[in-house]
Amino acid sequence: MLIIGGGVSGLSARRWLQRLGVQDVLLVEMDAHTGGNAACGQNAVSAYPFGAHYLPVPDLRSEELLQFLRESDVITGDDANKRPIYNDYFLCHDPEERLFINGYWQEGLVPETGVPDSDKQQISRFFQLVERYKLAKGSDGLDVFAIPLDRSSTDAQFRQLDTSSFASYLDKEGFTSPYLRWYLTYCCRDDYGATLETTSAWAGIHYFASRKGQAANAGAASVLTWPQGNGFLVDQLRKQANSPIRQHLLGYDLQLNDTDGVIVKTCDVIANCTIEIKARKVIMATPQFINKHLLRTVDPERAALTGFHYAPWMVANLTISGLPQGRGLPLCWDNVLYDTASVGYITANHQDLQSGLQKVITYYKPLTDLEPDVARRAAYTTPYEQWLSHIMEELEVAHPGITPYVSQADIWIWGHGMIAPAPGFIWGAERQRAAQTLANRVFFAHSDLSGISIFEEAFYQGIRAAQEAVKVMNNG
Amino acid sequence: MVSEEKRVAVRPGLTSLHWLLLVSVFVISTCGLIYELVAGTLASYLLGDSVMQFSTIIGVYLFSMGIGSWLSRYLDGNLLKWFIRIELLVGIVGGCSAPLLFVLFDYVASFRLVLYTLVGLTGILVGLEIPLLMRILENQLSFKELVSRVFTFDYIGALLASLIFPLILIPQLGLIRTSLFFGLLNIGVAGFLLYRFAETRSFRPGFTLVLAASVAILTAGFVYAEQIMSYAEGVTFQDTVIYSKSTPYQRIVLTRNNRELRLYLNGNLQFSSADEYRYHEALVHPAMQARPNAQRILVLGGGDGMAVRELLKYSSVHHIRLVDLDPGMTSLFQQNETLLKLNQRSLLSPKVQVINNDAFTWIRQDTTQYDVVIVDFPDPSNYSIGKLYSTTFYAELEKRLAPDGLVVVQSTSPYVARKSFWCIRNTLAAVGFQTIPYHTYVPSFGEWGYVLALRNHHWRVGGPLPKGLRYVNTPTIYDMLYFPPDMSEVPVEVNKLNNQVLVQSFEEEWAPYGQ
Repeated sequence: MLIIGGGVSGLSARRWLQRLGVQDVLLVEMDAHTGGNAACGQNAVSAYPFGAHYLPVPDLRSEELLQFLRESDVITGDDANKRPIYNDYFLCHDPEERLFINGYWQEGLVPETGVPDSDKQQISRFFQLVERYKLAKGSDGLDVFAIPLDRSSTDAQFRQLDTSSFASYLDKEGFTSPYLRWYLTYCCRDDYGATLETTSAWAGIHYFASRKGQAANAGAASVLTWPQGNGFLVDQLRKQANSPIRQHLLGYDLQLNDTDGVIVKTCDVIANCTIEIKARKVIMATPQFINKHLLRTVDPERAALTGFHYAPWMVANLTISGLPQGRGLPLCWDNVLYDTASVGYITANHQDLQSGLQKVITYYKPLTDLEPDVARRAAYTTPYEQWLSHIMEELEVAHPGITPYVSQADIWIWGHGMIAPAPGFIWGAERQRAAQTLANRVFFAHSDLSGISIFEEAFYQGIRAAQEAVKVMNNG
Repeated sequence: MVSEEKRVAVRPGLTSLHWLLLVSVFVISTCGLIYELVAGTLASYLLGDSVMQFSTIIGVYLFSMGIGSWLSRYLDGNLLKWFIRIELLVGIVGGCSAPLLFVLFDYVASFRLVLYTLVGLTGILVGLEIPLLMRILENQLSFKELVSRVFTFDYIGALLASLIFPLILIPQLGLIRTSLFFGLLNIGVAGFLLYRFAETRSFRPGFTLVLAASVAILTAGFVYAEQIMSYAEGVTFQDTVIYSKSTPYQRIVLTRNNRELRLYLNGNLQFSSADEYRYHEALVHPAMQARPNAQRILVLGGGDGMAVRELLKYSSVHHIRLVDLDPGMTSLFQQNETLLKLNQRSLLSPKVQVINNDAFTWIRQDTTQYDVVIVDFPDPSNYSIGKLYSTTFYAELEKRLAPDGLVVVQSTSPYVARKSFWCIRNTLAAVGFQTIPYHTYVPSFGEWGYVLALRNHHWRVGGPLPKGLRYVNTPTIYDMLYFPPDMSEVPVEVNKLNNQVLVQSFEEEWAPYGQ
C-alpha cells in the first residue's frame, strides 16, 4: 500500500492502516519534512508554526480524534461526567485573544471598544443565531453543523445555505454592521483564506456553529496549541505508526496496471532520478492541484475538475526582543489588528511558561485582495524587503517603535494555502466526485475533499480512505 | 511705490535679509510660548492643581521675559553674535526643560525651586530675543515698520503655538518630545543665522562645535524619550536612592533614610529593613517548626536571601537551593556590604546553592525531593507571574515534595486583596494539598498573608523554634491562624493557566491603592 503525501491526512491514513493491521505500507512525501500545512520551524528562541497552529477542544462524539489525543497525552484522563481532562500545558493559556481597535487593545476578538450600541445589538443577534444553529438538528436527526462536516445533516433546508455566499446571506438577514462584518470577514480569511463574498453561507456558519467541544477543565471555546503549532500533532501522528516514510519523493504520474496494481512514477528530488513504485493500492493524500497532474492520463475527467480554489498566504515569523505597545491588554496568544490586511499574529512561545524577554511572533496574511492566480504570481515575485516593509508598516500602528526590536524575520509564501469553501462547493457534485475511489485501487484522502482546511477534516479524511482501502482489500 | 522700488534696486539683499530675520521672530516666538505651555502642563501633571500651576508659571515666565528685555540694554558689540548665542542657550535650556523636570522630580528635595528656576531662566533668555532682534534690524527699517512687523510675527507665532500645542503636539509627540523638538528649532534658527551671514565667519568654528553638541543632545533625547519617560515614572521614592540598576527583568532600587533601608522592584516595595524580620520570620518559621528535621529546602524567588537567613538558623538543614530569575538581584545580595549585613551573608553560605532560572521551566526538569519549599515570588501583578500561582505550577511543586513535605506560599494581603488571597488558598487545595492559611501584620506592608500547603494533615504548633527570633514564637503562630471577619474566606475560583483569574482579581483589588 502506498500513501502519497505526508500532510495530516496522509499521516492519519498511515496511522489508521497500522491500527487495521495492514503490513507493508510506504508513505512518500515530496518535501524534506512531513506535516504539509502544519509545517513548523525552530530557532534559538522558540519553535514556531508556518501554518496551522491550533486545534479547538473537540466534540465528545469525535471518538477517533479523542482517542488520538489520549494517545498523544493531550488528554490525560476523564472526570466523573466522562468529560476529557486536557493537559494544562497544551490548553491555550490566558490571556488568549486581543484586538487592537480604536487605539486600544481590547480583550477578545469581537469588536467592543468604541463600537456603537446598534452594532453591538447586531453582533449579539448574530451570536444568538449561532447558538441556535449549534443545537439545530435536521429532519434526519443529525446535527446541522458537525465536524467532520460529512456527519452533518442532509436536510436540504440547511444544505441550500451552501448555494449562496456568506455576504448575501448576511445581507438577507439584515446583518449590516461594519464591525460585525469586519469580524466575520476576519474569520473567513483566517480559516478559509476567503472573503464574505467567496465563502459559502453554510461554511460561514459552520465556522461558528460546529464547535461543540467539551472539557472537564476548559470552556467550550477553548483551543489547544503548541509553540510549533500543529507540528506537534503531526509529530504525534507520525510516531503512532512505524511504516517507512520516504522524503524528497515527488509523485508525478499514476498508471493502473493491467492486473490489479498501480504504478506510481516518482522523482527523487535530491538524487534527481526517477523511481517507479508498484503498489496494490494507493491512497492519494494530496490536494487537487497536485492530483490534476498525477491523474491526467488515468482519470482526465477528475483531473479537469475546476471548483477547487486556493488562496495564497504569506506567513512571517519575527523574532523580537521586546514589544512596545499602547493601552489595553498585554500580549496575548492571538493578537489581531482591526481592519488591516493581515489576520494578526500569534505569539509562538506563548505556552512556554518562561519569563523570557525574547518572543517569536507568527504573522499571517491571506492574500485575498486579488484573484488567487494573480495573487499567487504577485506573491512569488514580491521581494523579501517589500514583504518586510509591509509587515512592519502594519505592526508599527499598534506597536509604535517595534522595528528596532525585530532581530530575525523568516517569510514563507504558501502558493496554495488552503481550500476555499466557495458557494456551492461543499454540497456540490465536484467535491463528491473528487473523493470517489478509482478502479477500486486508488483512494483519496485530503481536507480538500471536505472543502474546509482544518486538522479535524484532514484527520478524518485519512481514516475514511484507510477504511475504504482495507475494506476493498479484504473483499478482494 | 517708486521710492520702495528704488530702495530695492539700490540695496539688493536687504529685503531677503529682513524677511529671514522676521521668520526667525516667528519661529522663536512659537518656541517661546511652547516652553511656557510645556512648563505649565508639566507642573500641573506632576504637582496637580492646574489653575494654580498655569497661573504661577505664566506669571513667572512673563516676569522673567521682562527681566530679559531689561537686561538686553547691557548687551553691546556684535549683536548678531549675541543673538546666535542666546538662540543656542534657549534651545538647550528650553529644549531640555521637560525631560529634565521629569527626571528630577523623583530626586530633588524642592522640585518647585528647580521648576521655577528653569522657567525663570527660559523666560529671561526668551525675553532677550525680541529686543536684540529689533536692535539688529533698527538701521534697516523705519521704526514704525519695525515695530509693526516684528510684533505681527511675534503674535502670529504665539497663536500658532497655542493652537498646535493641545491639538497636535501633546497627542502626537508628548511633552518630552515637544520640548526637545522646539529646542531643535531654536538651534536651527541659530544655525541658519550663523551660516547665512558673512559677518559670523570669525566665530563660526567655535559656535559650530556648540551647535553640533546641542543638536546631538536634543536628538538623542528625542529618540530616547520613551525611556526617559518610563525611567522617570518608574522611580517615585520618598527617600535617598542609594542604588539603582536595570536588569533585563526589572528595575532594582535601594533607598535609605535615617531609620531604614528599602528595596523596590519596578517601583514596588519589597521590604523595609525596619520590619522585614516580621515578614520573613512569619514566612519561614511556622513551616519549619513543624518539620524540625528538614534537611533539603527549596526557595523559589526570594533572591534577597532573607528567607535563607531564617532557614540557616536550623542546624538540621543541609542544603538550600534558591531559584531566582534575576542574577542582578542575587548577585547584589551576595556582594553589597550593607545588604550582606542584612541577610547575614546567607547567600554565601556553603549550604546554599543559587540558581538563576525561570522557576516554572526549572521545576519541570528538577528531580530532587524537598522537605520544605518556601515560595516567595513577587505578587501576581502580571500574567507571567500569575502562571507561578496556577494549578499547573502547584502540581509540579507537589511532585517535588517529600512524602511528609510542606510548602509555604507568600499570598499577598488578605485585607487589601481578599479574593486574591483566598484564590491562592483554593488553587493549592485544588491540586490536593491540605491548606493552612495564616496572616500577620508587617507595618510597611500592612496585613500580609501566607498559605501553608501539606501533603497530609501532619502540622502542629509548638515545635522547636531557633533562638533569637524577634517576632515569631508559639503564641504568635496561634495568633496568625485566626482570620477576623473582614479577611475571612470568600468564595473564589481556582487560578489556572487558561483562566488566570488571580491576575484579574489582584489588579482590581490593588487598583485603589495605586499599585
